[in-house]
This record gives sequence, C-alpha cells and structure tokens, in this order.
Amino acid sequence: MEYKEKRLIKKVKKGDHQAFAELVDKYKNSVYSICLRMVGNSQEAEDLSQETFIRAYKHIDQFDTDRKFSTWIFRIATNLSIDFLRRKKPSVSLDAELPGTDGLELKEILASGEALPDELVVWSETERIVQYEIDRLREKYRSAIILKYIQGLSLKEISEILGVPIGTVKTRIHRGREILRKNITAIRGEE
Amino acid sequence: MTCLNKRFVSLMNKVLDGEARREEKMELDRHMETCESCRNHFRELKQSTELLNHLSHPQLPFSFTKNVLDKLPAENRHALREWMSRHPVWATAAICALPMSFVMIAAKRQTFFQGKNGEDHGYLLLRVPEDRS
Ligand SMILES: [Zn+2]
Repeated sequence: MEYKEKRLIKKVKKGDHQAFAELVDKYKNSVYSICLRMVGNSQEAEDLSQETFIRAYKHIDQFDTDRKFSTWIFRIATNLSIDFLRRKKPSVSLDAELPGTDGLELKEILASGEALPDELVVWSETERIVQYEIDRLREKYRSAIILKYIQGLSLKEISEILGVPIGTVKTRIHRGREILRKNITAIRGEE
Repeated sequence: MTCLNKRFVSLMNKVLDGEARREEKMELDRHMETCESCRNHFRELKQSTELLNHLSHPQLPFSFTKNVLDKLPAENRHALREWMSRHPVWATAAICALPMSFVMIAAKRQTFFQGKNGEDHGYLLLRVPEDRS
C-alpha cells in the first residue's frame, strides 16, 4: 500500500475523522459503482455505500495495513450488496418484461455487428437493458463480472475480494460472460 | 449454433482473459476463418463485455462524505489520551468510573453486531463465501 494511505489509516485507527474523510473521498465512487451494479438501484446503492464506510471505520482495527485498502473496502461493499440481495429476494423474475421501451436501439447496434461507438446517443436505454441483464445473473457470476468489467480489477484482486481461488474467479467470469452473451443475443433475436 | 468444439470455446475465453499465447490466438483465428458459428460466438462474447465496459460510472452527491462522517462514532480515543496526559487528577477520577463504562461498551457492542432484526452481522467482514463453484 502506498505510503500516504498507510499514514492515513494509522490516523484513522486512532479515531481521526478527517483522515477517514480523505479515504472516503478517494474510494466512494468506486464503492458506489460496485453497489449500484450489484443491486441495480441508485438509492439502495447509496445507502449500501454509506454502510460500507461506516462498517470499515468501526472495524478499522481488523484491517492489516500491509494489505491494499481498496481490496478490503471493495470486499465489504460486495458482501453487503450480496447480503442485501439475499434479504430482498425474490423480486426479479426471469420472465419479466424488459424495462422501458423495447430496446430497439441496442438491437440495431448489435445487429450491425460493429464495435460499439464511444459516444452512444442512446446510452440510457442501452444501459438500462444491460443493467437488467446483470440483475438476472446469479450473485456469484454477477459479482465476478462487475469487479472484472466495471471496476477493471485483476483476477488476483477479485479473488481476494470474493475470498475464492483465482481458478474459481475465472470460471465465474466465463460462465457470467456466456450467460450475458446468450441473453443479449436473444434480445437481438427478437427483432 | 456453435460447432461445439470445446477447445475453441476455451481458446476464446483465454483470448478474452488476455491469457492466450500467440500460437493459441493464431489457432483460433485460423479456425474462425472457416467456422462461422465460432466467429459469431466470439463476436457476441466480445460485444457483451464491451457493453459492460461502456456502462457509466455515476458519481455520488458531494454531501456523501459529510453524511458518512456524521454517522461515525464520536471522535474521542485520540483526544481522550491527550486530555488524560494534561489532566492527571481528573484522569484518575475517570479511571474510578471505568468499570461502569465497560458495562456500557459491552451493551453497545452487542447491539451493533445484532442488526435491526436481531440477526448477526459480525460475519460480514470475516466470512469466506461458502459457494466455491
Ligand atoms: Zn467452430
């Protein structure tokens, strides 16, 4: 862990709120992004992010300063999100209609077979559909896919966050990727 | 749909994971030149991950950090130690009151680890997810 962060955490361990505020500022949007994609709801995600940091603060004594703080805080965020999903289950029906309109724009993009443009005018609609497909993934695939493709973390980091071996992370990413492929291609097939 | 050749599906995964050797990548490319189903399959896989990469990263409101700080337990341990070194007499008096505060801390700790519905949350930080498949 970088020196500056180590020093901050030492201060936090002594109860320094200002030092903790710096850590919150540094990691809040990554934590929020994990929670948001895990639960698919911005208000719930904000609450979970807040709970993540409060819990980190209360348990900072358990944090080993030789490890990466990001791994630790992402682990708390992921576990809280999974816990939240298990409590609120079952609400997502696999047969549910796609949200909003019929996802025509996404179909067109997929049908064209071209790489996705950087600027997508239709993004909000596409994003809703992709989030819907993420929501349909089982928790173990969902968490691995989100950490890999939305957070861009390495397999080793993901394995530490999820507490499973690297080989398991790979299998989950492969399975999750294949399920997303199948479902997203099915949207195209509905044309 | 696919030619169902497991070898090529696993090569696709290797390429997408960035772990394929050059020969493996060439082997897959050669196969896809003639196998349309594998070509489509690979393109669909790549498109799906690209969609994930393109998801936006919304930002939290500016007030978030302050809201977190407002909910933290009082900033006292560090301050207390300093205060004790400056006021030894009062510190002695405070130590006499210590057994009482132990009782209170114990009570507080119990309510923290038990959530609203009495369920135990202490495991969240320590547990190893049971599902290893
Ligand atoms: Zn083939």
